[in-house]
Amino acid sequence: MNSDGSLVRLEDVHKWFGDDLYVLRGIDLAVTPSEVVVVIGPSGSGKSTLLRTINLLEEPTEGRVLFDGVDLTDIRTDLNAARTGIGLVFQQFNLFPHKTALGNITLALRNVLGLSREEARERAVEQLREVGLEEKADAYPGQLSGGQQQRVAIARALAMRPKLMLFDEVTSALDPELVKEVLDVMQRLAGEGMTMVVVTHEMGFAREVGTRLLFIDHGQIVEEGEPREMFASPGHERTRQFLAQVL
Amino acid sequence: MSVGEGAAAAGDPLPDEPRRPPDRGLRHTAGEQTPLSSLALAAGAGGLVLVFAGSAAVATAYGWTPTESLAEAITSPAQLVVLLTSIGLGALAGIAGLLGARRAMTKGAREGAISGAALGLQAIVLAGFLLWFRNGDVERFARQFFDFALLSDFTDRFLRAAGNTVVLALSGEAIGIALGLVFAVFALSSRRVVRAPARAYINFFRGTPLLWQLSFFFFGIVLGLQLDVGVYTVAILVFGLNAGAYSAEIFRAGIQSIERGQFEAARSLGMSYLMALRLVILPQAIRRVIPPLTNEFVILIKDTSLVVVLGLTLSQQELLSTARDIYAQTFNATPFLAAAAGYLAITLPMIRVVTWLERRLRSGLTGIGA
Repeated sequence: MNSDGSLVRLEDVHKWFGDDLYVLRGIDLAVTPSEVVVVIGPSGSGKSTLLRTINLLEEPTEGRVLFDGVDLTDIRTDLNAARTGIGLVFQQFNLFPHKTALGNITLALRNVLGLSREEARERAVEQLREVGLEEKADAYPGQLSGGQQQRVAIARALAMRPKLMLFDEVTSALDPELVKEVLDVMQRLAGEGMTMVVVTHEMGFAREVGTRLLFIDHGQIVEEGEPREMFASPGHERTRQFLAQVL
Repeated sequence: MSVGEGAAAAGDPLPDEPRRPPDRGLRHTAGEQTPLSSLALAAGAGGLVLVFAGSAAVATAYGWTPTESLAEAITSPAQLVVLLTSIGLGALAGIAGLLGARRAMTKGAREGAISGAALGLQAIVLAGFLLWFRNGDVERFARQFFDFALLSDFTDRFLRAAGNTVVLALSGEAIGIALGLVFAVFALSSRRVVRAPARAYINFFRGTPLLWQLSFFFFGIVLGLQLDVGVYTVAILVFGLNAGAYSAEIFRAGIQSIERGQFEAARSLGMSYLMALRLVILPQAIRRVIPPLTNEFVILIKDTSLVVVLGLTLSQQELLSTARDIYAQTFNATPFLAAAAGYLAITLPMIRVVTWLERRLRSGLTGIGA
């Protein structure tokens, strides 16, 4: 935890891509343990970049990112070690195609956390069971449906026992009938008290599971609040317009 | 007659099994042929077979050895009849094929007519070449290149030479792959000071002739500086450096072809740059670069012949230098044919193995390029 009781804190984070593209324009955000922060906003608003700066997959051009008492933007920080505490799930799954479901999970357990073969296997199987895919342990990603692949990806991230989970539009690449199985896993995770930051277009999920809703536009947090209240009566004109389009 | 009918007649318990797509080969279209297309097929195939079988029969009648009888066979009237008949059959196949293809009512008939015309054309080209060949000084040529009896004295040397070719190519390629991997990673570095020397190495060894490199490193550096390094060692090192430059480019392209998300997923799991490269990127990239890497290896096998310029001792000689050496002793060029056969004996199995490996890697459940 950070000194202010938050798990993650972004302080005045700016991000430029090159000289012209100004994607994040001063983001301040603190996420406390067990919060489920849902980030919504129009495409190109900087949602994904914001999420990816949290584990420094995108390095902020300016500003600080603090995670669990460590300044990730400090050059002396061991980023690889810090990243093991932050799970990230991608829109395109990004499973390793040359590894089985089990192998996808054990790879980092063995090589990053240094678990023994047996420990890694045990933990991976347990994690697959939790996402309901125990029987797919030996299947390669190419043999799994999109929803199953995404659940393996979630299991892979969870197996590292992270304190924070980041979800980057994880259902956007899925066929409609496969969305629910992934959202169910995420909802259960939230119920177990996992701290989560979720970029999504699933407004139902935002309303039911989110503890806080963040509306981002043009690289700035336009409005934030309790999801049901914000959906019912958005306080800002731009939020109102966006919600009118997606609901 | 289709595959599906045969299966049904045999009482196939799985009637829903998808039928094999229709085979356009000669066998399965036999039932659909028209008289014209059948004529084209028969004449074309007959002409082509006649070129080979007829010539072989004539040569056998005259005897393959000694060389003089082979030359006699080639210049004999019988051979002339064989070739002219082949050309006639080929022309007949061509005409019947063109007419038949236009009038074909079914796909099978058209395939048959076109195949017949193609076979006929091949017969004409081959027979035409042999016809032209007969006009030269066949006896002299046969003495120069077909003195197979002479080769039997040099079997041991050729076997050792083939071994040396394999050793030179394999060691060169092994060094090349190791260098290539390292320099590919350097060439992909975001740091200019790491990238620049890698590019310089790659560009130099890709941009200068291998022959120049061999000469310079041996005559220039080793002899010039009076270093105590053997010619064989220098050759292997230069082959390695040269193959390394090409392999580096191949590996670089392979690594760059892996989706960025793979690297990001690995890093977000806490892997270091090198760990992500070793465990996630390279295993996928290497599968993709097997075809171009093999291509490179086959080129290297042939390029080992360039060591002839360095002057090797007897025990170091590879295929081409052996052939040249024996030619210098005997003034007979047949060893060059033996050298060519040696190269093919090494490269063809290589190509087969890699084609098989490639197919296995792709069809396997490893989901490459998912």
